[in-house]
Amino acid sequence: MSLSTKVACNHCHLEFSEDVMIKENEHYFCCNGCQGVFHLLSDEGYDSFYSKTGNIKLTPPTQQYEDSSNFNAPAFYDRFVKTTDDKFNQVSLIIEGIHCSACVWLNEKALHNMDGIIEANINFTNNKAHIVWADEILKLSEIIDMIRAIGYDAYPYDAEIQESHANKERKDYYLRMSVAIFASMNIMWIAVAQYAGYFSGMSQDIKTILNVAEWILSTPVLFYSGWIFFRGAYYGMKTKIVNMDILVATGASLTYIYSIYITLFKEGEAYFDSVSMIITFVLIGKFLEVLSKKNAADALDIMGKHIPSDINVLQNGKIVSCKLSDAQVGDIIIVSSGEKLLLDGEIIKGSGSFDESSLTGESEAIYKNIGDNVISGTLSIDADIQVRATKDFEHSTLSNLVHLLDHAMSSKPKIEQLANKLSEYFSTVILFLSVVTFIVWWIWPHSFETALMVGISVIVIACPCALALATPVATLVGLSLGAKRGILFKEAAQLETMAKIDTLVLDKTGTLTVGKPEVVKETILEDFDKSLLYGITKSSKHPISQGISEYLKEDTLEIINFDEFTQLQALGIKAKYNNNILLGGNAKLMRENGIEISYESDKTLFFFAIDKKIIVIYELDDKIKKGAKALVEDLNRKNIDVIMLTGDNKNSANRIAQEIGIKQVFAEQSPEDKSDIIANLHKENKNVVMVGDGVNDILALSSADIGIVMGSGSDIAVDVSDVILLNDSLEALMDAIKISRTTYGLIKQNLMLSLLYNGITIPLAMAGYIIPLIAAISMSVSSLLVVGNSMRIKLQWKHN
Amino acid sequence: MDSWLIAMMLGGSIFLGGLALLAFLWAVKNGQFDDEEKFLNAVQYDGEGELNDAINLEKKKAKLKREREYRPE
Repeated sequence: MSLSTKVACNHCHLEFSEDVMIKENEHYFCCNGCQGVFHLLSDEGYDSFYSKTGNIKLTPPTQQYEDSSNFNAPAFYDRFVKTTDDKFNQVSLIIEGIHCSACVWLNEKALHNMDGIIEANINFTNNKAHIVWADEILKLSEIIDMIRAIGYDAYPYDAEIQESHANKERKDYYLRMSVAIFASMNIMWIAVAQYAGYFSGMSQDIKTILNVAEWILSTPVLFYSGWIFFRGAYYGMKTKIVNMDILVATGASLTYIYSIYITLFKEGEAYFDSVSMIITFVLIGKFLEVLSKKNAADALDIMGKHIPSDINVLQNGKIVSCKLSDAQVGDIIIVSSGEKLLLDGEIIKGSGSFDESSLTGESEAIYKNIGDNVISGTLSIDADIQVRATKDFEHSTLSNLVHLLDHAMSSKPKIEQLANKLSEYFSTVILFLSVVTFIVWWIWPHSFETALMVGISVIVIACPCALALATPVATLVGLSLGAKRGILFKEAAQLETMAKIDTLVLDKTGTLTVGKPEVVKETILEDFDKSLLYGITKSSKHPISQGISEYLKEDTLEIINFDEFTQLQALGIKAKYNNNILLGGNAKLMRENGIEISYESDKTLFFFAIDKKIIVIYELDDKIKKGAKALVEDLNRKNIDVIMLTGDNKNSANRIAQEIGIKQVFAEQSPEDKSDIIANLHKENKNVVMVGDGVNDILALSSADIGIVMGSGSDIAVDVSDVILLNDSLEALMDAIKISRTTYGLIKQNLMLSLLYNGITIPLAMAGYIIPLIAAISMSVSSLLVVGNSMRIKLQWKHN
Repeated sequence: MDSWLIAMMLGGSIFLGGLALLAFLWAVKNGQFDDEEKFLNAVQYDGEGELNDAINLEKKKAKLKREREYRPE
C-alpha cells in the first residue's frame, strides 16, 4: 500500500491517505465521529443523505461538547424557551456545521421524526432553526443531543432581541405595498382606456363601468395600504404637527370621496387612479426608509447579550451554576482563564494576568495575586482563580457601566431632519392654498362642485410623491456607496447628522495606531541563533512577545524544543536549552537576574540574554496607521476640529499627536472622562463624531452625535456605535465623511427638484388647468426626476 | 359594443387577479418567502417522504392536543 493513496471519508468526504483511515468493510472513515454518524444515519434510514450531498465536504463531528443537561436548567428555559399559543414550547437555535441543503434536509428529517416535536424549520440562509415541541415528552437537551448525534452542533439564541421586531414592521409594509402595487398596476391599464376616451369620446356607460372598476381597486389601497397614513395623520393631529401624512391622508380621501360622487351621480372625470398612485408612491418611499432603519435594540438588550446570565459559585465544596442576580456578597465565584469577571471581589485563590482595558483603556495586562481586588468587566487572560464577591451585581462596576450607557444612549442628541422640517411647512402651505383656492373659486361665481374640484386638484397635484421619495432614495444611494467601501451606516438618518459634524474625536490605540506593538529598532550586541528567540517569544501570548515573533518571522527559522520553559508574570520568559539559560523580558527581569542595564528609551524595551549576557535589545512601539496624517490634514482643510483622547500616558500620547499633527490632546482619560469631554463639546453646540474601537470607548461612542467604530473593535463597541468601518482603515473614515456630505447634498437637490416641480404645477392647479392626464404625468415625472438625480450621483462615484 | 361585456371582462379579471393577490399575501404571511435560499433548494427534496413527514407532524400535533384536553394540566 503506498502512502500517497488518498481516499475520501464516507461521511465527511475529506481525503486522507489510506493507512490512517478507519476501515470497515468497504467503507472508510477519518475518525470515530464520522463513523458514528454514518452508522446512525444508516440505522435510522437517513442514508439517502449521502446521495444528496454529492461530493460536498462536511466538517467531521467533534466529540467534545459541554454537558447538554445544562440546557434543561430553569434559568436557561426562562431566557430562551417561549410558549406558543397552543401551550407548546418553542426555541430558536443556531445550527453549526451546515454546509449545503442536504445538511438542512437531514436536520429537519431527524427532528421531524423525533417524538414530541411538532414543528422544525431551518432557515437555509442563516442556519437558524425554529423548533416547537411538547415538553412533557421531550426535553430541550434531547433535541440538542439529537442534532449533535448526527454530526452538527446547536446553541440557542434569543430571537426576540435580535430581529423579530424589525422584521415584523418590514413584513407589514411589504404586504401593504403588494396590495398597493397590484391595484395601481391594474388601475393604470383601466386609466389608459379612460384617457383614450377623454380625447376620442366615450359613452357614459363605459365611463361608469371603468370608474366602478377603479373604485373597487382603489378601495383596498386607500384603506389597507393607506392605513399607515391615517395613523400618522392621527398622531400628527394629536401632537398638533401638520405632517406629510395629514396631507396624503386628506388629499387621498377627499379625492376618493369626490370620485365616488362623480361616479354615482354626475358626468365627469373620477380620480381613483390618483388616489392609488399617491398612496403607492409615498408608501414606497416610506418602505425604503424602513429598510434603512436601524434595528432599534435598547442599551440593556445590547449589554444583555454580553453579560452571561449564569455564574459558577462554590457551595459546600461543589461548583454550582447560579443566576447572576442571585449571587450575594461573600459568595465564592470560580473564574477560569478566558472568562469575564461579572462581580467585583477579592482573589482568595490563584493568580494570573487580567485585561482591564474595558475599564481603564490600558492595553497592557495586569498581574494580580491573592488578596488583590478585581473589578467586574475585566477579562481573565490566563488566571484560574476563586474570588470572594464584595458587591452584588446590582452595585457592581459592570452594572454601573450599563446604567451609564443606558443614560448616554437615551440622551443622545438628534439633529432635526431637513426633510421632516420641510414637509411640515410644505404640508401646512398646501392645505392653506387649497382652502384658499376653493373659497376664491366659489366666491368667483362658480358652482360648489367646480370650486371643490379645483381645491382638491391643488392637494392632489402637490401630493408629495417626489418629496416623499427624495430623502429615502438619496440615503439608499449613500448607504450603498458606503457599503461598497466597507462603511456600514446603521441608520440612514445618520448620514444627514454626519454631514453636519464640525468636531472629530479620535481614540489613540487601535484607531490612530495599529494597537499592536511592533519592533522599531533592533540593537544586536552579539551574533546569536534567532531561532532561540523566536522559540521563546512564539510560545508567549504577551503582546510584546507577539510583536517580536512577528518581526522575526521573516527569517528562516527552525522549531526548537526547550528543556525548560517558564513564563514569569509581568517580567518575561525564562527557558533552558542545551544547558544555556535563556532570558527574555523587561529591564526588571534582567536586574533580578543580576544583569546590569544602562540602555534607556521612551519606548517599550525587550532584552534577550543568554547565560546572563545581553545579546540583543529591541525597541517596540505602537505604529501609527497608514493615512493618519493625510486624514488630519484633510479634516483641517474641511474645517473640522480634530481631538485625540487616550487612556495612555501623556508622553506617548503627545508624541503620536505631534507626529500626526493633532493639536488638541487629552491623555490619561478614563471612560467617564471621555464621555464628559464629549458632553462639554455638546454644550459648546458642536456636532461631535467619536471614533473608537474598545470597550473603554463605549460611553463616549454612545454619547457622541455619531459613534464610529473600527470593525475589529469589541462587539459591544460595534453595537453601541452608529457607523462601522469594516476594513479598519482611516481612508474609510474620510470616505464616510465624504459620502455623508455628498448624500446630504443630494437630499437637498432632490428636495429642491420636487419643490420646483410643485412650484410650477400648483399655480396651474389653482388656475384650474389641471386635467387628469397632466396630474398623472406630473406625478410620475417628478418622481422619476428625483430617482434619476440620485442615480446620477451613484454613477459619478462609480467613476471615482 | 355591449357595455355588459366590458363589465363582465373587467369584473372577471379583477376577481381572478384578486385571488392571485390573496394567495400571495397568504404565502407572505405564512413565511414562505422568508428564506430565499430554501425557496430554491427545497424543490430538490419535495418528494413523497417529505409530504409524509409534514402530515405526520400535523398528526402528532393533533394527537398531543387531544391528549392534553383529555388530561388537562
